[in-house]
Formats: sequence, C-alpha cells, structure tokens
Amino acid sequence: MTLLEVAAKNALRNKFRTTMTILGGAVAVLAFVLIRTIIVAWNKGVDYAAKDRLATRDKVSMVISLPKHYIDDVRTKIPGVKAASYLSWAGAKWPKDPNVFFANMAADENVFDLYPEMEISPDAIERWHHDKQGAIVGAALAHKLGWKVGDKVVLAGSIYPGDWQYTIDGIYGAPPQTALDQSSFFFHWSYLNDGVKAGMKDKIGWIVTRVDDPSKSAAVTAAIDKLFDDQDTQTTTMSEHAMNQGFLGGASAILAALGIVSIIIMVIMMLILGNTIAMAVRERTSEYGVLRALGFQPGHVRLFVIGEALTVSLLAGLVGLGLSYPFIEFGMGRWLEENMGNFFPAVHVSPVTAATAFAATLVLGGLASLLPAIQAGRLQVTDALRRIA
Amino acid sequence: MIPIAYNLRNLRARKTTTAAAALGLALVVFVFATARMLTHGIDKAMHQASDPSVAIVLRKGASAELESGIEVPKISIIGTAPGVAAFPNGRQQVVGELVAVVLLDKVGVEGGFSNAQVRGISDDSIAFRPTVKIIEGRAATPGTDEVVIGRAIRGRFKGLELDATFDLSKNRPMKVVGIFADGGSAYESEIWADVDRVRATFGRGTIVSSVRVRLDSPAAFDGFAAALDANRQLDVSAMREETFLLKSSQGTSIFLSAMGFMIAFFFSIGAMIGAMITMHATIAQRQREIGTLRALGFTRFQVLTSFLFESILLSLIGGAIGAAASLLMSTQEISTMNWATFAEIVFKFEPSVGIIVSAMVAAALMGILGGFWPAIRAARINPVQAMRGA
Repeated sequence: MTLLEVAAKNALRNKFRTTMTILGGAVAVLAFVLIRTIIVAWNKGVDYAAKDRLATRDKVSMVISLPKHYIDDVRTKIPGVKAASYLSWAGAKWPKDPNVFFANMAADENVFDLYPEMEISPDAIERWHHDKQGAIVGAALAHKLGWKVGDKVVLAGSIYPGDWQYTIDGIYGAPPQTALDQSSFFFHWSYLNDGVKAGMKDKIGWIVTRVDDPSKSAAVTAAIDKLFDDQDTQTTTMSEHAMNQGFLGGASAILAALGIVSIIIMVIMMLILGNTIAMAVRERTSEYGVLRALGFQPGHVRLFVIGEALTVSLLAGLVGLGLSYPFIEFGMGRWLEENMGNFFPAVHVSPVTAATAFAATLVLGGLASLLPAIQAGRLQVTDALRRIA
Repeated sequence: MIPIAYNLRNLRARKTTTAAAALGLALVVFVFATARMLTHGIDKAMHQASDPSVAIVLRKGASAELESGIEVPKISIIGTAPGVAAFPNGRQQVVGELVAVVLLDKVGVEGGFSNAQVRGISDDSIAFRPTVKIIEGRAATPGTDEVVIGRAIRGRFKGLELDATFDLSKNRPMKVVGIFADGGSAYESEIWADVDRVRATFGRGTIVSSVRVRLDSPAAFDGFAAALDANRQLDVSAMREETFLLKSSQGTSIFLSAMGFMIAFFFSIGAMIGAMITMHATIAQRQREIGTLRALGFTRFQVLTSFLFESILLSLIGGAIGAAASLLMSTQEISTMNWATFAEIVFKFEPSVGIIVSAMVAAALMGILGGFWPAIRAARINPVQAMRGA
C-alpha cells in the first residue's frame, strides 16, 4: 500500500462527511459548468462568426430600411464580392402564442448561398424557389411550434400589418460548432413586397455580403460605405464578427457578473472542502502523532492530508461533470436553443469548460488542504499525543 | 433550556470552522441578495414610469413602440375618446411620440458601439410625465436640434454629455442642453429630441410610434379601449401602460430571474451542505459534552433545539455579513440590452427590505435544513456511552 493509497482510504473513514463534501463540491462544479456554458454559448455568436461575411445596414438606425437598388450596386460595383443577398426584419408573431419570439425575415432568393454552414436539402430550396408563399424554418423553431414540412402557417404582422400565409417548404439545421440560430423563419422578400403599402415597397432591411478573400474584407467594407456616402441613406458595413459583438456586447456587464459568480461558487466549494479537511486533521491529531513517533516525516503527514483532499476533489469533479452533461445536453441547453435561439444558438458543454471545471476543482482542493497540511506537518509528536481531540 | 451562552461560546471556541462556515454562507447570501437586487433594479427601471391612469395606444398587432406606427391625424381623434383627462390649461393629455434606436459609439470601449433609444417628444411630453425633472441644464427648445438626455445614459456614449453634440444624421449635430431624471425609470436611458426632427431623420413620413393618454381614472380604461376598438378606421389598440411595460420587459427579466433563481438554488444547496458538514463535525467532536449535558438532566428535545439554534445562529451570522456586503453593491450601475427594444438600458442593483429579509430567512432556512439532521443525531446520543469516550 502506497502512502497515496492510505491518503485516499483516509477520505472514506467518515463516509457521511466525505459524501456530503463530494456532493457539495459536485453541486458547485455543476453550477460552475452551467454558468460557464451560458457564457460560452453567448460568446459563440462572436467567436464563430463567419470571417468572410459582412453586413450592411443604415448608418443611423437599424429601423431605417435601405433602398432596394443598393443590392444591385453592391453586386455590380464592388470588387471582391463573391455573393450578396438581402433580408428584411418582419417581426411577425405566431398568433396562437404572441409571446413566442423568433426571427422572421423576408429574404432574397439566393440567401441560402450566403450561409453555406446551414444544413438544408437542395430539394427543400428547390421547393421554396417555386413556392411564392414558401418558408424555410429552423429545426429548433419547428420542433418548438410543432411544424412539419408541408404545414400551412399564418403569422400576424406587426411592422407590416395583416395576416401572412406560408407553407413550410423546408427545415434547416446547423452543425453544433457553428453559431447559426436554428430558430429563424425565412420567407420570400417578393411576397412581403407585394403585400405592403405603396410607401413601404422596394425597401430592404440589410445586405449580407460574402467576400472572395477574408483578408480583403476591410477594403470591401470601406468600398461599400463609400459607394453610398453621397446618397440620402448612408450605410454602415461591418463584419459579422463586429456586428455580433456590438449586438451581444450589450449584455457584457451581465456576463461579467455571471463570470464573477462562477468564481465565487468555486471559492465556496474550496471553503467547504477546506473545512472538511481541517476537521479531519483535527480529529486525527493523535493519529498523526503516532505516525510521527513511528518515524514518518512531516512530509509524509502533509502528503496524507493533501492526498485526502485531492481524492475528495477528484470525486467531486467527476460527479459534478457527470451531473452537468445530462442536465445541459438534455435539459437547459435544448430549452435555451428553442426559446432564446437568437442569443443562444447552440448550447453545449465545451471540452474547455469541462476541463477548466475539473482542473479548478483539483487545484482548489489542493489549495484548500494546504493550511491544514502545514499545520499537521508542524505538529510536535509529544503535543499531538498528549492532545485529545 | 440549555443556555444560549453555551452555543455562543462554542462558536467562538472553534473560530476557524465557524469563520469558514459563516464565510461560505455569507457568500451564498451575498450572491442570493445581489441576484434579487439585479432583477428588482430592472423591474424598477421598467415599471417606474408606469402610471395606473395612463394608457398607451399602438397600431393593432404591434406590441412594442418600435414596431408600431400611427398617422399623426389620428392623435387628435384618439384624444376625443371618452375618459381622456385634460391639462390645467385645457389641452387634452395626449402625447404622440416617435421612438427609434440609433447606433452610437460607446465610451470606454475601443471600437465599441451599441444602440441607444431616441424618443421624439411632443411639446407636452415632459408635462405629461410629472416625475420627469430636468436636473442639469435646461429643457430643449421645441422645433430645434436641441435634446435632453436621461441621467443613466449620460457619459455612456460619445457626445452624450451636457453641452456636447452628436450626429443623428450626417452633418446635423444634435446638442445636449439638459439632463433629466425620472426616479430610475427606463426613460433615464433615452435621448429625447424634437419629434419632427426625429421624424425627418428617420424618414418616418407623418407617423408617431405610440400615443399615450392620461385618463380621468384607472377605471376609465375599459371605456376608452372599447371606444378605440369600435372605431375600425383607427386600426389601433390601447393597453394600460403597466401591462405594456410588463410585457416589454418580460424577455429580459425572465432570463435574468431564471439565472438568478438557478444561481440562488445551487448556492443554497452548497451552503446547506456546508452547514450540515460543519454541524455534523461539531457534534461528532462534542460527543462527550453532549453526553454530559444529557447526564445533567437536559432532555433530548432540549439538546436538539440547542444544536438547531446553534446552526441557525451560525447561518444568521453568515447571512448578516452577506446581506451587508450586498448592500455595498447598490451603488453599482450596470447596463444591458433590453431585448424588446434592442437598445441599452442602465439600471442599479436595487435593494429593498423584502430582499434583505428574504435573504436572511433563506440563510436561517439553510441553517435549519443543514442543522436538523445533525441535531437529531446529537439528541440521540446515549449519555453513558458518550461519556465513556468516543
């Protein structure tokens, strides 16, 4: 039996206390992983933004539309543009439950060429192209509202009043490593344009552009904005990365607060663990005295204490991660994707988060045992043997 | 009854354990209370502005001011509906306002930008909201490029400072001539400019986003709303301002409340387990003491209550430290995006007596739950065995 094994066995001597400590640690790890996963998912839109995609919108406000002819100018007059498309925010509601929020956008015919990471069958796009009132919807949204391909759907307009009727022609998915929102609803811009009042016709919300070479995107950005600089409606073009950052950055203060909370929770775990170890050491004072009297060095005693703490934190980390995976993958993650897909397009426990949680547990467990370990190592044999716990 | 001094002395005798357990609890209560203060702060910002006798009119189908559009001539028609109150000067208490968001550069973040909400206000808008006070500078002159800005948004974006200017559209600088306050409401995160000026900038033709009316009494709402509904030409619907504000803050506050609840939940479990371990260890160490207490004639029930009391005391000490620390947060301001308007909103960690009391109650509860089982164990100790040695 090695000394480390003895240390590990020591942890099992007070089963109740060890179980509770592991449980407490595991809950802390679970909470840490949950919070970190939310932060990671939130930042995903920024981190995974396509490098070759740009968005052009009105310079002053996103509520102002661009004239439709801007798209032709971008397509023909700007060098380095591989493809360009446009979208308009419709803001319609699902009449059966107006509180359900999802992005519904009128889009140009070629819009799916701009999003090659989107998983959608060519058949579905073909169907959509031939169906004036067709719609392509995200898998999470379809699941949430129970839509299937072929279903007839009516949305109630808000910005564009009236009832808008659609047929679901296809459902798209997205690989988990992308940040594509799976709860969007795309339909034909021409359908919207035909149905709105005279003053609202031939307007587009924003232009999406893919560039040939991502390293030239700054030049393309500048070229687009310069093109419209003398027009009545000026534009701001930014990379998808910058746009997402600006949009998601609105909540950065909240995220920072969550980050702090996740650290506090680990500190609490350390306190619980440290307390347990300190108690164990206090109880075993006379035992350590005996060990020392038998010839074990202070280093050995310290090793016992630290080894015990590491065993407990290892178990706490494992149990915590074991709880986190099912909780996030089958519970909270799917809920967030369906209900807040615009902000949390893909919620998964990242390996980095899991590894961080696990490493932090071990490191903090080790740290928590340092003080008790030093105290145990300093014990005088005679004192230890004389003292009664 | 076992003297309380016994429990107090014990907590003092085991200083390190007590401190660690109390600190753990303090952190839990701190996070618990700040999470609640955050939600409360947002709620306050969102609902502060609500007046029970005010109704907001939007185009049918619209649920936010940004989505809505009402033609200007309809404003006076809405004003003739039954139940609308009048200003002392006899004018109807009706204001049509145009809401938009503008992209502005943030201060302190290199290359950072965000949306700020602009409200095009009419001549009566400030008089309509008696809680709004200009705290610095002066009110803007109607029909000019002067604006007043909310206290909370001041200094957060470039150009949003008294006497500074910012561009609403190319080569048309807007001058900030005053700062207003409204008791922490969401208006404090807005820029108020002349309605015609905003309309021109945003190419909004002859429309406003919303029409607010003050009614003679909150009870007048039903009649007012029915009258608007009956007039199909208007194509608008009325909502109580309270309901409207509640709805428009739902997304943001549901998410934050859910996060706050989740955090508080896990933290409480952690703290409870911490308290349980501590109490459990205390009792294991004090077998002999407890045996003596029982031998002296204290009943099982007395031992149980004494230990439960000790656990609650420990929790309350931790809770008080945590609650006090959380109060320090109340000076902090925090901004987030209001997902209903896509604009930034600034709010405070808003403490309330209810939050502090509930945090302390939660702490006591954790003490009871954590201490109950160990206390039962203590009560079950057989005095003879315990005194013989453990």
